[in-house]
Amino acid sequence: MNERQTSKEPRSGGDREGLLNRREALKAGAVGAVGAIGVLSGYTAARAAVDDKSAGQVRYAMVIDLRKCIGCHACSVACKSENNVPLGVWRTWVKQVERGGFPSTQRHFLPRLCNHCQEPACVEACPTRSAYQRDDGVVLVREERCIGCKLCMAACPYDARFFHPEKKIVNKCTFCVHRVDKGVVPSCVNTCQGNARIFGDLNDPDSDVAKLVARESVQVLKPELGTEPRVFYIGADTGTMGRVRKEI
Amino acid sequence: MSQITRRDLLKLGAASAGIAATGLGANMALGGTVRLAESGKDFSAETGKERQAIPSACWQCVTRDGIIGFVEDGRLVKIEGNPELPRTNGKLCARGQAGTNILYNPDRLLHPLKRVGKRGEGRWQQISWDDALGLLVDGGEIAGRKVKGLRALRDEGHPENFMFHYGRMKGSDGKIIKSHFLTAYGTKTIGNHTGICECTKWTAQELTWGSHYDNWDFDNTRFILNFGSNVLECHTNHVPMAQRCIAAMGRGVEMYTFDVRLSNTAAKSTEWVPIKPGTDLAVVLAMCHVLMANDLYDQPFIETYTNVSVEELKSHLATYTPEWAETISGVPAEKIRSIALAYGRAKPSVCISYRGAVMHYNGVQTERAILMLEAIAGNIDCPGGRCRAVGASWKFTFPTPKTKGKKLHILDGHKGAYAYPTHHASHQVFDMIRQGPERPDIYMIYCYNPVYVNGDVQGNIDLMKDEEKMPFIVACDVALSETAELADLVLPDATYLERWTCDDMVCPSQIKEFYIRQPMVKPLGSTRNFCDVVIDIAKRLGFDLGFESAEEFVRNGCENTPGVKEAGGFEYMKKHGAWYDRSAKPAYFSHAKAVDITGATLDEATGVYYNQQPGDTDYSSLDGKHAAKQYVAQKCGDGEAHRGFPPDSHRWKTGMLEIRSKALADKGFDAIPAWMAIPEHEAMGSDDLILTTYKVNVQTHSRSQNCKWLTEIYHENPAWIHPQVAQPLGVEDGDMITVTSSVGQITTKARVTEAITPGVVAISYHCGHWAWGGYASSKSCGENYGHACEPDCHNKWWGKGAHDKGPKVWRDGRGVHVNWIVPNAGDPIGGGQRWMDTVVKVAKA
Repeated sequence: MNERQTSKEPRSGGDREGLLNRREALKAGAVGAVGAIGVLSGYTAARAAVDDKSAGQVRYAMVIDLRKCIGCHACSVACKSENNVPLGVWRTWVKQVERGGFPSTQRHFLPRLCNHCQEPACVEACPTRSAYQRDDGVVLVREERCIGCKLCMAACPYDARFFHPEKKIVNKCTFCVHRVDKGVVPSCVNTCQGNARIFGDLNDPDSDVAKLVARESVQVLKPELGTEPRVFYIGADTGTMGRVRKEI
Repeated sequence: MSQITRRDLLKLGAASAGIAATGLGANMALGGTVRLAESGKDFSAETGKERQAIPSACWQCVTRDGIIGFVEDGRLVKIEGNPELPRTNGKLCARGQAGTNILYNPDRLLHPLKRVGKRGEGRWQQISWDDALGLLVDGGEIAGRKVKGLRALRDEGHPENFMFHYGRMKGSDGKIIKSHFLTAYGTKTIGNHTGICECTKWTAQELTWGSHYDNWDFDNTRFILNFGSNVLECHTNHVPMAQRCIAAMGRGVEMYTFDVRLSNTAAKSTEWVPIKPGTDLAVVLAMCHVLMANDLYDQPFIETYTNVSVEELKSHLATYTPEWAETISGVPAEKIRSIALAYGRAKPSVCISYRGAVMHYNGVQTERAILMLEAIAGNIDCPGGRCRAVGASWKFTFPTPKTKGKKLHILDGHKGAYAYPTHHASHQVFDMIRQGPERPDIYMIYCYNPVYVNGDVQGNIDLMKDEEKMPFIVACDVALSETAELADLVLPDATYLERWTCDDMVCPSQIKEFYIRQPMVKPLGSTRNFCDVVIDIAKRLGFDLGFESAEEFVRNGCENTPGVKEAGGFEYMKKHGAWYDRSAKPAYFSHAKAVDITGATLDEATGVYYNQQPGDTDYSSLDGKHAAKQYVAQKCGDGEAHRGFPPDSHRWKTGMLEIRSKALADKGFDAIPAWMAIPEHEAMGSDDLILTTYKVNVQTHSRSQNCKWLTEIYHENPAWIHPQVAQPLGVEDGDMITVTSSVGQITTKARVTEAITPGVVAISYHCGHWAWGGYASSKSCGENYGHACEPDCHNKWWGKGAHDKGPKVWRDGRGVHVNWIVPNAGDPIGGGQRWMDTVVKVAKA
């Protein structure tokens, strides 16, 4: 949102996602028409959830209803504060894209964070088992094991990981498990002005996230990669979902 | 190479997935058993320890939300919304959450400073509070020049030569400083900043429905019509309104936004309707016309509570057709017609407005026309409509001093310039001082940065440097602003996170909400709450305010305010932060309330029942103050006595909703809102553009740029121009351009975008600081009398190494301030600064 052209170049930089999108798009056929976006029917998503290896247990997930997102960055700042995230790096941010010609110009928002994938590429990439996934699906970093090799950063197709300039290791969104494990929603959810961010247990059919995923046409980023993100979007503009770099 | 790495890893797929699933510390809860609280608690991400929760009130903008501060090992680490408040439902915006950045700002003022070099040279001497207050009260020498103190002015019988000019001072802070200290001292030369804020809106409302501040009942509305409000990004009641607005849209409520620029509000609207600046009035008049022509008017409301008839309205509006409005505004007639019909049919609907529509030459009449539209549609003070505000009223038992003060006549602009400057013309104060003859000996600014926030910045600087015209300048703030930099004495204030206040902002649910601000940590360094400082100043001057601290004052409010007192008073408020009557019903239709008129006199000419005092001949003979005081009820169109729309103390009016304003007619303006062209816009050349300024969702005016998390997100303010404007000039996106007005020129960066109306240049006024600390100005952090309490400042990345060509030229990571090129000029009725009227020329730099 910093007037588009002024945002800091992401540290992991380059056009690699765009390349990947195009290559994967060729394989993915119809979905590939828009490259990085996939719309899951409620049925598909619900089945995916039931098929989770954590079925029967808690499976944390987030739904971001973009009809209610006003692009206000309350989440971006809440996260900085909650997790003492240094300047220059973000665990969550709001991407903003402008499209269309006057007077039908549009602006769309896409809050971004770690997708806490069911099949996290970062975990597989980590040579020290610092990157791991809990039984409830949350993908975390064991700080004491991280050697800062950045292989996980390269592996993550969503640019959700960053090198912490103070700790000199890799850092990322934790779904605020330090709050969640004590019974409080993540900080970004707590403060979302439009109640666009909804968090809960995907395996609990009575939870808001499970109901939304079952009822609405939810979208995930780059479904063709098979990472099975557990951050679902409702009403995302396809133009925002192509490149998921840290543009703010 | 990274692509190959990742692709290969993905191929490995399921084979290695199992390794990951053996996580440590896994939550073994079964699906269906987890219930998470929304808020109220917070824990350290590092240690897991629960953080201490302290309820208080935000002050990052005038919304003043209820908040909870979370303290860990004595340091405030996190701020959230207070879920006990119905206003905000526990939500808080980016600005509110960045409050910790103000507290621990590496460039925060921690000690009193006395100037030792020339004004603005940046040479200071750190002094004690004792010396600082000695200088203020008894005068002394500053850089070799003698200055008079407060005592001398008072002893000479001229306390009015102490001017106190504030930016932010609300709730009990205002009571202590203004009603008690300044009143007891004897000066009424007290300036505010409303003239640059939205005073046109307030003056219009006072003329029309008597009081000021409108609440939009999004919770119950069925349609939203928006003229120039960026309600989803910034509003004087931001978090309460933004969440209700987007929730209404979630219910399927349509919102149509008329704006010169695609704000985020416009972007989220059902439709953005681009409009030529300063022509909202024409569109509103046309919409009134459409409602009348299509029988979509609320005849009972019009004929009972307004002072015009249906026939008068039809006749007045006859020529304001959508086709006429199209020629003025550029909005297609059919669009005006269809939106007006949708608004008229959706009842209850609400028409919202803010600075985009009102900070113009014709702003008062624009706001009055909007009230006329709402009155025609019957959307006044009803569920889902535009309601008069409901805020808390605290009761304190300390007697207010009765000193009859004096004032300098420099607050309302030049004589006769503005018809009803009911909220003063703050942008004219410097010119009044420049011209003389009345000038303050001591000019004190409090939480205010007049050099930066008013137009004609160069003129402001030049005056501040003139020691003849401004002999003694005192600044009290949390950091060195562009103005404080030019002061003689600087007093370090406590931030809002270190102080006590009883607060009272409007609740959109139309109920009264009482809340307090309390310290979350001890004031840093030797900073002091200025409310405590004035108690000391009074003692030095030989009078006593009757209370010993701001805390005592707040305690008094909590122990004496009905409702709060019974709930448990001060102890309850310290624990919960807020109280409201759970059984309170939202206040709607207060104008319709029947009133007992026993003992009141009916003034036949106006229909006002009032308490006649000896000497009064009729209600019309009273001045504004007495009219407000003696008003009882209005004999309305139904012949009954209703509460009506009473006048406030600013100006005389009847108890009707005055679509026809005698006060305006008396001063030669149209009594019923009529089209009022903007003179400069009528005389524009073909290559002239209209400058508009705006706000964004992560900054507050001039003040929040010292918050690292906000300025990291928003630190540059390129000039938005449409490709149709850019192409003939050979300007491409990102090129440097000059923008020139009658008062100056800036060099800035062009943002060529389809998100703006052709013919307009839009520049936000948040950026381009040359003071206010390193995060704001892109100078290095902590270089002025700051402290290294925040190691994160070394990670600041924006503006690093950028070339600085002075404050009027774009610098990467900082942008350039727009007020260098905006003249100070008020609207002829309310005296509101005409932020959106400046005519400029753009050229490739």
